Amino acid sequence: MKEYSYFPGCSQLSSAEEYGISAQEVSEALGFRLKALPDWNCCGASSAHMTNHLLSLALPGRNLVLARQEGRDLVVICAACYHNLKSAQMELLSDEAAAHRVEEIVGSDPRFEGRIVTLLDVLAEELGLDDMEGRVKSKLEGLRPVSYYGCLMARPRGIMEDDDPDNPAFMDRLLSVLGAEVKNWSYKTDCCGGSLSLTRPDIVASLVNRLFEAAEEAGANCMVTACPMCLANLEMRQSEKRLRYSLKHDMPVFFFTELMGLALGLEDVEDWFGRHLIDPRPLLAQAGLTR
Amino acid sequence: MAQRKEGAREKATAGKAGGAIGAVMVVGGGVGGIQASLELANLGYKVYLIDSSPSLGGVMGMLDKTFPTNECSMCILSPKMVEVASNQNIEVITLADVISVEGQAGNFTVRLRIRPRYVDTEKCTGCGDCTAKCPSKVPDPYNAGLSKTRCIRVPFPQAVPGAAVIDPEACLWLTKEKCGNCLKVCQADAIDFDQKEREETLRVGAVIAAPGYKPFDASRKTEYGYGVLGNVLTSLEFERILGANGPTQGRVVRPTDGEEVEKLAFIQCVGSRDTTVGNGYCSSVCCMYATKQALIAIEHLPYIQPTIFFIDMRAYGKDFERYYNQASSRHGVRYVRGLISGIRERQRTKNPLLRYLDEEGCMHEEEFDLVVLSIGLEAPTGLAEGLELEANDYGFAQADSFLPVLSSRDGIFVCGAAGEPKDIPDTVTQATAAAGLASQQLHRARGSMLTHMEYPSERDVSGEEPRVGAVICRCGSNIGGFVDVPAVVDYARELPGVVFAEERLYACSQDAQEWIRQVVEEHGLNRLVVASCTPRTHQPLFRETLQSAGINKYLFEMANIREHCSWVHMREPELATRKAKYLVKMAVEKARRLEPLEEGESGVIPRALVIGGGVTGMNAALGLAGSGFQVYLVEKEDELGGLARNIHFSHDGEDVQDYLVGLVDRVEFEELITVFTSHRVRDVGGFVGQFKTLIADDEGHEAMLEHGAVIVATGGLQYQPTEYLFGEDPRVITQWDLERRLAEEDASLRDLERVVMIQCVGSREEERPYCSKVCCAEAVKNALALKEQAPDTEVYVLYRDVRTYGFREDLYREARERGVAFLRFEEELRPDVRGLWGDLQVRVPDANLGGETVVFNTDLVVLSTGILANPDNAELAPMLKVPRNADGFFLEAHMKLRPVDFATDGVFVCGLAHAPKSIEESVAQAAAAAARAESILSRGKIVTEGVVAVVDPERCSGCRVCVDLCPFKAVDFDEENRVAVVNSSLCKGCGTCTAACTTGASRLQGFRSDQIFEQIEAAASAWWD
Repeated sequence: MKEYSYFPGCSQLSSAEEYGISAQEVSEALGFRLKALPDWNCCGASSAHMTNHLLSLALPGRNLVLARQEGRDLVVICAACYHNLKSAQMELLSDEAAAHRVEEIVGSDPRFEGRIVTLLDVLAEELGLDDMEGRVKSKLEGLRPVSYYGCLMARPRGIMEDDDPDNPAFMDRLLSVLGAEVKNWSYKTDCCGGSLSLTRPDIVASLVNRLFEAAEEAGANCMVTACPMCLANLEMRQSEKRLRYSLKHDMPVFFFTELMGLALGLEDVEDWFGRHLIDPRPLLAQAGLTR
Repeated sequence: MAQRKEGAREKATAGKAGGAIGAVMVVGGGVGGIQASLELANLGYKVYLIDSSPSLGGVMGMLDKTFPTNECSMCILSPKMVEVASNQNIEVITLADVISVEGQAGNFTVRLRIRPRYVDTEKCTGCGDCTAKCPSKVPDPYNAGLSKTRCIRVPFPQAVPGAAVIDPEACLWLTKEKCGNCLKVCQADAIDFDQKEREETLRVGAVIAAPGYKPFDASRKTEYGYGVLGNVLTSLEFERILGANGPTQGRVVRPTDGEEVEKLAFIQCVGSRDTTVGNGYCSSVCCMYATKQALIAIEHLPYIQPTIFFIDMRAYGKDFERYYNQASSRHGVRYVRGLISGIRERQRTKNPLLRYLDEEGCMHEEEFDLVVLSIGLEAPTGLAEGLELEANDYGFAQADSFLPVLSSRDGIFVCGAAGEPKDIPDTVTQATAAAGLASQQLHRARGSMLTHMEYPSERDVSGEEPRVGAVICRCGSNIGGFVDVPAVVDYARELPGVVFAEERLYACSQDAQEWIRQVVEEHGLNRLVVASCTPRTHQPLFRETLQSAGINKYLFEMANIREHCSWVHMREPELATRKAKYLVKMAVEKARRLEPLEEGESGVIPRALVIGGGVTGMNAALGLAGSGFQVYLVEKEDELGGLARNIHFSHDGEDVQDYLVGLVDRVEFEELITVFTSHRVRDVGGFVGQFKTLIADDEGHEAMLEHGAVIVATGGLQYQPTEYLFGEDPRVITQWDLERRLAEEDASLRDLERVVMIQCVGSREEERPYCSKVCCAEAVKNALALKEQAPDTEVYVLYRDVRTYGFREDLYREARERGVAFLRFEEELRPDVRGLWGDLQVRVPDANLGGETVVFNTDLVVLSTGILANPDNAELAPMLKVPRNADGFFLEAHMKLRPVDFATDGVFVCGLAHAPKSIEESVAQAAAAAARAESILSRGKIVTEGVVAVVDPERCSGCRVCVDLCPFKAVDFDEENRVAVVNSSLCKGCGTCTAACTTGASRLQGFRSDQIFEQIEAAASAWWD
């Protein structure tokens, strides 16, 4: 079985545990394995780069040292981690002085020359969508998702592997293959408020509700994302009653890996869905997708 | 257009004279290439005009209207294309690309790759029968892919060559060996699937590169969702939507649902002024074309509300500012300063949603029905590979600083957008200039490769009874499919005067011309009528055929039974047949009354007069001298140089004074140029080819100059400010003053703490509502130079719009990077400069800060003063019989296509006399004016059309209505005999005077009253037949 190095990221141990589990299980079901980097550390999340530039290189730098030692391409499932690792890699590979500085701090050469990819990239390359179609056990009929990439997977411009940074399309195609009726909208890469969730919930609430309004207008009944921070914001802030958005959208939000698990007929999908703040099970039941 | 026969060309060496080859290759068949080709043919050179597409026309051929006159683009371009098509010395080679250009100036060998058309252009008549039967649909490139056409088609109705072309990738025969419908239906046997890609080698003395530009690929700006969002179009697509001949017949509707557009947005600078896509330059034309498109959209649907989102409104050209002002104040075009960072889409309506920041800093989200992306101009391909020209960082052809038509290779000239983004008139100017410069190198070989038609001497038909021959054309099934052609032939045969009538499948084909010649001889015909298509394209052909049969070519009349009959009456074949009959009858009645007309000739004095000895005038004079003509250069001041004496360095760092000294030297050493300093023009008499101009010096010493052409290069003046304490406080100076001190490296500049520059002093205001074009670049240039000499000096530029068009944008960006601060003010809230206890204080409401007033104490205020028209123009204009515009600048014959001509033949204009412009633009215009003058001087004689007006002195009452009306100043008043006299050398046969003549004394040859009345009679009587 082909193996990739895997950077889980902190949220997979906490708020987005279902993302990490579903990602691993879906990968194995599709014939490749995600091997977590031994002794990985936080990538710097949304605070390191605002604190100290060197810190924002050194934290991912240490993980890159590990990836270098493992010698495999590195899969990152969290959009924020992906963004941090990829940005650090680009800088360390192009700026020798920065690489030396980080080497002094972390004790080993951080110049990882392998590829850093998202799970979506791997799916596109390893599998291709035609092959995926044959593996679908239960088609996701009745789900009308809009795909939501969030802002970090695609930016800064140029780090995205193949897709259009403003109108990425691979997740849409993937969900279509799984049998969902994917809705078109133009907010795929709009910001959800990111790390302002705790410091400025008002901003996050207005951004998130704007997204849900657009998703509802597009005729969607759920949103699908590839970013744990987006999911947290979308679920937590879509019904901020104390703010001007009294409207409760109650629209479930999935990780794309969860829906893949569902379509592929994996065992413990029910457990994942139980972890959501907005319970998606009524929608799934309505669509006849629960067992 | 000479038709190509493979292997039948004479060897090019025959055209060599003095080592140079008297032929030029023009690469690119857009308006620039077309203009250059026509000029070169006029100047006596054989031209190979190549284009990589199947037709001439370029982008201009796709445009609906042109700014700032809103004229129909195709209507003004198409006559030029027809002129190319009918010119024997221009050989059009389509579907061709340059592989290589070897050799040197005067003697180049050009290798071409020519792709197969699969249609024989000599045989194809453009009838369209094949298109009607072609099953393969393809997106129509002429409509920017917004509609479908067929795989085989004439690219567009006015295409030149007007022959069909097959798209090999979509053709079922070529891809699958199926179908072959076109082979079956083509009655002209023109389809040729055996054509292969081939190479051809041609020898020429010079090459003119006019490949135009590449439209920016809007999908690269992914944030605008082009190609993803249904109601986001590029400006080129929108131009087609506006076009009456476009995919929606000019209905302004949106692609997703075909609904009429109400709220329309334009986003400027898409792919321009944008280093993220590698295009740091300004595309120069988008502000005006967006304004034009907004106006035309309103014209189509009065309730459309257009909004233009922009950074700076760059209305810098002649009459652009007025156009912009009227668009916003009179026609309701909304201009919002601020760019759009992304487009979202409402899913139910597919309405694009735009978010923007207004000038007060408030965020808005606004819904539109349609968004148009004003895409920029990118460098064309092929400059580096085939032509091996050096390119600048943006890929445009690297050009000479003072004369951008000169490329990096001697003998290869560049014109149009390939050198820098530019509009149509600047392209036409450069094309003409390029032709003139090529001629300077090749003038010894002038005429050596021209084809001259030898015609038999004309048979005298006077006294003969009219013997009319009528040829009725079927035009494949175009006419024959709807009109009963045999019935029309039978009808024609019975008409009085007709001795011969027959039909032809295609009357315009080569073999039909030979047949007509034989028929004329066999039947002793002395009048010819052809009933076919439009005289616009085909009259010259038939006239020539008649001439080659020894009959005066004016004894020809045409009936248009296609455009005026079969095409518009397809559903009523019987009535169409009846109409075709009376159209033929009308033509026959006119033909019976035709008389042979003579073409006049008048001599040309091969010398030119250039008025004005500035950079422009000197360049014009040197251009003509370079082609071997004598020039009188008249300058009112006691030395040459003009305004350029105040300019020290150009925006790209060249030393202008060095250049000026060199220029004066060249003029003074040039034997062919006679300089008259301290002289003014006192009187101008005569006309094209034979002017007599009286000049006098300050002491009244007079001289009479005889010359064939006049170039007006009278220049302009600098505005002398009365505002902003100028003249009262020595710390308030002009840019010229600053520039002089910078050139002298004045040490006191280094002590300045702060310098404030004020733009638009004397420009863009009620009294002078035009932009002086050069001041923004001048201010930015001087600000940078000041920063270079005094890095610690703070520089503030107070502006209204920064109009650093083209590559000047790089300077603007550099200035900002170097810390020059730009503060915007509104016209009605101008800066205030005052002296305050010895301090010089500037207060300005900063429009970018919501009108917050910013106050500076400054050491120096530099005023960017505008350019004024030379007051002498007022005196000169009536002498030369040429008009001026409202701002006092001379008004050219046509804003778009005749930028250096006047309606009065033989008089040309260039430089600041025409409008404010930069040195390099003035020099290009000078070269263009010289080329236009050369086209007269090199001719030896002027041949005039046979269709001219004549005045019967017996009947003329001397009222002079015609004198005032004639747009070409061809009618003079004979004071002695008190009658009007037409100068046939100037008359264009427009008929204005004839129509206005109260006594019937004025008569237009070939359009006599009795001829017209008989035609009307014929039209009316045909209904009773």
